[in-house]
Amino acid sequence: MSSGFRDFLKQLEDAGELLRLPKRVDPRHVSALMAQAPQATFFEAIDGYPDWRAAGALVSTRKRLAIAMGCREDAIAARFEQGIQRPIEPRLVDRAPCQEVIWTGDDADLTRIPIPMMHVKDGGPYISATVVVSRDPDYGRNVGSYRMMYRTPRETGVDLVSSSDMRVYYQRALDQGRPLPIAVAIGTHPFELLAASYKAPIAVDEFAVAGGLHGAPVELVRCRTVDLEVPANAELVLEGELLPIGWTADEGPFGEFSHITGEVKWNPIFRVRAITHRRDPIFYVLQMPWENDWLAAPVIEAAGLQALRVASVEPVAIRAPVGGCCYWTLVASIRKRPGEGKNALLALLSVAEVKLAIVTDDDIDIYDPDDLDWAMTFRVQADRDLLVVEGARGKHIDPSVRAGALGKGGLPTTAKLGIDATIPEGVPRSHYERLRYFAKDAVRLEDYR
Amino acid sequence: MSPLARAIVAQLSARPRHFGELVEAHMDVPWRDFLRAWGEVRAAEVLSRDDAGRYLVSASPSPSPP
Repeated sequence: MSSGFRDFLKQLEDAGELLRLPKRVDPRHVSALMAQAPQATFFEAIDGYPDWRAAGALVSTRKRLAIAMGCREDAIAARFEQGIQRPIEPRLVDRAPCQEVIWTGDDADLTRIPIPMMHVKDGGPYISATVVVSRDPDYGRNVGSYRMMYRTPRETGVDLVSSSDMRVYYQRALDQGRPLPIAVAIGTHPFELLAASYKAPIAVDEFAVAGGLHGAPVELVRCRTVDLEVPANAELVLEGELLPIGWTADEGPFGEFSHITGEVKWNPIFRVRAITHRRDPIFYVLQMPWENDWLAAPVIEAAGLQALRVASVEPVAIRAPVGGCCYWTLVASIRKRPGEGKNALLALLSVAEVKLAIVTDDDIDIYDPDDLDWAMTFRVQADRDLLVVEGARGKHIDPSVRAGALGKGGLPTTAKLGIDATIPEGVPRSHYERLRYFAKDAVRLEDYR
Repeated sequence: MSPLARAIVAQLSARPRHFGELVEAHMDVPWRDFLRAWGEVRAAEVLSRDDAGRYLVSASPSPSPP
């Protein structure tokens, strides 16, 4: 059986990474409190919601993500690669904790869930930790993650602007004038969220990817009102449909994973048919932008490793720093042969929306900012070692692409920068020999205290 | 429409506001009551949005894509 949300909470607590708040908290204050806490946060009492607890900021650091993935902090990409290369098909079960309580009809009321207020300029309260399941008659099941903005007790907005498999499914349903049934699982293990965030080929079942990450099949249960399956051990499930109205309803702004507020978007509406949950549910508040960023890191880092290997460059370490939102920047160290600093940059800059890539030799600790600065200071000549690619695909939420000037439907482009911070060809490695202290191994500080 | 929903409509008729400003103006109201009232305002289809993402109540019946 795969691990669940509660197993992960226990792992965090055992590692001293979970802060329990026993006092009653207003849902309007949940995010602000999480932002002040150095650890992941568990709210034991929610004002106005006596049956609920809440938790969040669970994977808002590399350390906590590594705990979720059961690996070292510098091994999350390799661990992710391992999981996606060995998918394990999910298993269907008859009974599920996520269906201990079932609300249908007028009882399926979103105001009964402690959906929090997150950021100052959000267009409404948001459900952020979603694992959204849909099905297409030809392509099969899809699992993705989409933010959902509260509208009414039975409706949310759903951000379906970016290209995704579910967007394709919705468009196909829309063309036939029918709604698209979906189910939204909240409060799952991060592996389900990681698999949902991973842009797998359309025919790949993301629950099998999650199974590969767990090393065990994800247990699924059939929904009560839609022909879909959800993780049995989820805390909460919303069942319903995307209405066949197209991209016509206002949604947003929301605090984006780029750490800034987005714009109002035009999106479909999700209408709720049923809500099912555990008897003692815990509502998962995925804290933007940090958790979204860190959930992207293994995916982007693994893509970087793959790109380097395809380019026949041997990677040693790779890092998607949080300053680049674990999405726009990649730093890699390589075992370099002549010319491979540039080859590595070309490979890394081909990954998704990566717009800054830095490559170093394998003697540089890319997790140490000072070591990285040192390499960029003494191994880079700006006229030789910078690579600029103009007019590559960009992303609207990067303000520097000036998307506002493009007009309706315009797609932005971006320039990409690569910095080759490897030892220049022709300079002997001995010129970079670090200082060593005389008799370092002959004396110990402890002996002189 | 409930008194709280009517109060929200009145506030948005006076000037555009971010959702957060409305929340802040009604912190004395239980969150669930506020969400229900907001649902009523939404269902009444009287809301528009401005470029800054603020809500407003205007003559046009409901928000529509630009």
